[in-house]
Amino acid sequence: MQTRLVLKKSAMPLNPGFLASRGLALLIVLFWSALVVIPLVVLLSVALKSPVEMLNNPLGWPAQFVWSNFADAWNNASLGQALFNSVLITGVTLLGLILFGAMAAYPLARFTGPWSQRVYIYFVAGLIVPIQLGLFPLYKEMHDLQLINTYQGVILLYIAVNLPFVIFLYTGFIKTVPRELEEAALLDGASPMQTFWLIVFPLLTPVTATVAITGALSTWNDFFIPLIFLQRDGMQTLPLAIFNFVGQYNNNWSLIFASVIISSLPLVVIFLVLQRYFIKGIAAGALRG
Amino acid sequence: MEQTTIVIEPLDKREETAPRQRKFRLRQLRAQGLFLLPALVIFTAFVVYPILASLYYSLTDWDGLAPDLHFVGLANFQQLVSDPTVLTDLKNTLVFAAGVMVLQNGIALLLAIILDGFLRRLAFLRVLFLIPAMLSALAIGYIWSYIYAPQFGFLNTFLSKIGLSAWQQDWLGNAHLVLFSLIFTNSWEFMGFGMVIFLAGLQAVPAELYEAANIDGTSGWQRFRYITFPLIAPAVTVNVVLTLIGSMKVFDLIFVMTNGGPGDASESLAIRLYKEAFTQNHFGYGTAVGIVMSVLILGLSMINLRFLRKREVEL
Repeated sequence: MQTRLVLKKSAMPLNPGFLASRGLALLIVLFWSALVVIPLVVLLSVALKSPVEMLNNPLGWPAQFVWSNFADAWNNASLGQALFNSVLITGVTLLGLILFGAMAAYPLARFTGPWSQRVYIYFVAGLIVPIQLGLFPLYKEMHDLQLINTYQGVILLYIAVNLPFVIFLYTGFIKTVPRELEEAALLDGASPMQTFWLIVFPLLTPVTATVAITGALSTWNDFFIPLIFLQRDGMQTLPLAIFNFVGQYNNNWSLIFASVIISSLPLVVIFLVLQRYFIKGIAAGALRG
Repeated sequence: MEQTTIVIEPLDKREETAPRQRKFRLRQLRAQGLFLLPALVIFTAFVVYPILASLYYSLTDWDGLAPDLHFVGLANFQQLVSDPTVLTDLKNTLVFAAGVMVLQNGIALLLAIILDGFLRRLAFLRVLFLIPAMLSALAIGYIWSYIYAPQFGFLNTFLSKIGLSAWQQDWLGNAHLVLFSLIFTNSWEFMGFGMVIFLAGLQAVPAELYEAANIDGTSGWQRFRYITFPLIAPAVTVNVVLTLIGSMKVFDLIFVMTNGGPGDASESLAIRLYKEAFTQNHFGYGTAVGIVMSVLILGLSMINLRFLRKREVEL
């Protein structure tokens, strides 16, 4: 016992090479922490500076907080409307994704005939094909269907683009859920719809959380689809509103950064509150993919 | 009499259940259709149809507006092959993708190993490193545009304050530097994702393996090379393929920070596709660029998957 303890001691913490590697690791972590924190601090400090202080004190923390920058950004970039649009579009997209994605995955997971296998591949092939490929016909189609500059148009697009991943996640998970419960419900005379929504769907909560998180990230922060399909004033989502705002106030970094903070805050706050679920969701989503 | 009925009964039942079963099957089939219908319609209408149609439009001179379009065969692709800026775009896209793949995944793996080791209890670091990934590429583009700005930018001001004026650069205006500035920014944004994925992989490695290796007196590098790295192969595959697909399609960040400039030094294929279509109305030609880009993404991800999956199987 005594010798083992001594051996362990000399093998681990007293070894100078070991200490050096730990020091180096610590240094790397500190370095990256600084790299992450400094731009965020710069973001906040610039957003709180007056134009004069931007010139006199470009690096330091603002001597006086100009909170009115946030109000100015809010009003000039019409961020209120943009926030509403972003919340609406992201919210309905998530609902649609969960509803249609889970429903479509159910027969694909439960009936493993060649037919359902082909439908599954049809959907999942969408994972690899980039959306830009179909962009121009899509633009014409959206135009012909009068879906440009509408909420429903962009929501349908987001659902369509995200469906492959969502169906992939749900199908994989439903296969791991035992069938006994739903078979009993079906024998008791419940319809397939009732069985699915009342018995199966509640068991899918972990994937639903993953779907909600990855879907929210890709929808809330997306810039490309609004840039092309939501150009009209009043329809813009937050990223697009800021883009147009920057076009007008080219060099007023304080206002630009204030608007960037306003647009980023909702998702960052949700992330900080639900961080554990986010980290789990991202890892689960990726490693199943 | 009674005996025969007993024998017949099961047969009887079977005959009775056959049509019932068929009816049940039919009901099931109808239910299946009902379950699949919304997803099938939306996906087909907004993803599959446009892609199939674009294969056709790439063979025309469509400008997106004029009702008459002409079939031009492979002219768009011929023009593409002899278009020097497309070759530049292709080179830029590949350099960007390779740079992001190495830098972002390298840092992510390094930090994941450290945070999985003796800093395991500092969980807030994972949260901190993920914050950039919660911001939009647009927001990050503006933050870093300011940091990189040549005159009053944060980085150059900082360098002059600490007496390193000689290191000052026009980070986004210098054609030789701009891609690297963009690669770094992109890696800064998404490193957290990669790290979380690696961490999930690392946590699945059984601790007994390390204990056994410790008893055998292995070095840290040996443990990494022969235990950790092979066992996190799935996470490596995912990260490599994800960064590849993501960075080959890169649009937002470049659009906001340089719009492809200076000149075409940072123009990616996706930026080019957008410019061809929405500023020049060359829809047919733009679609041809899109097809080349997609084929490239598909091909490279397939090669990567095959190569990396093989490594996974070999374990």
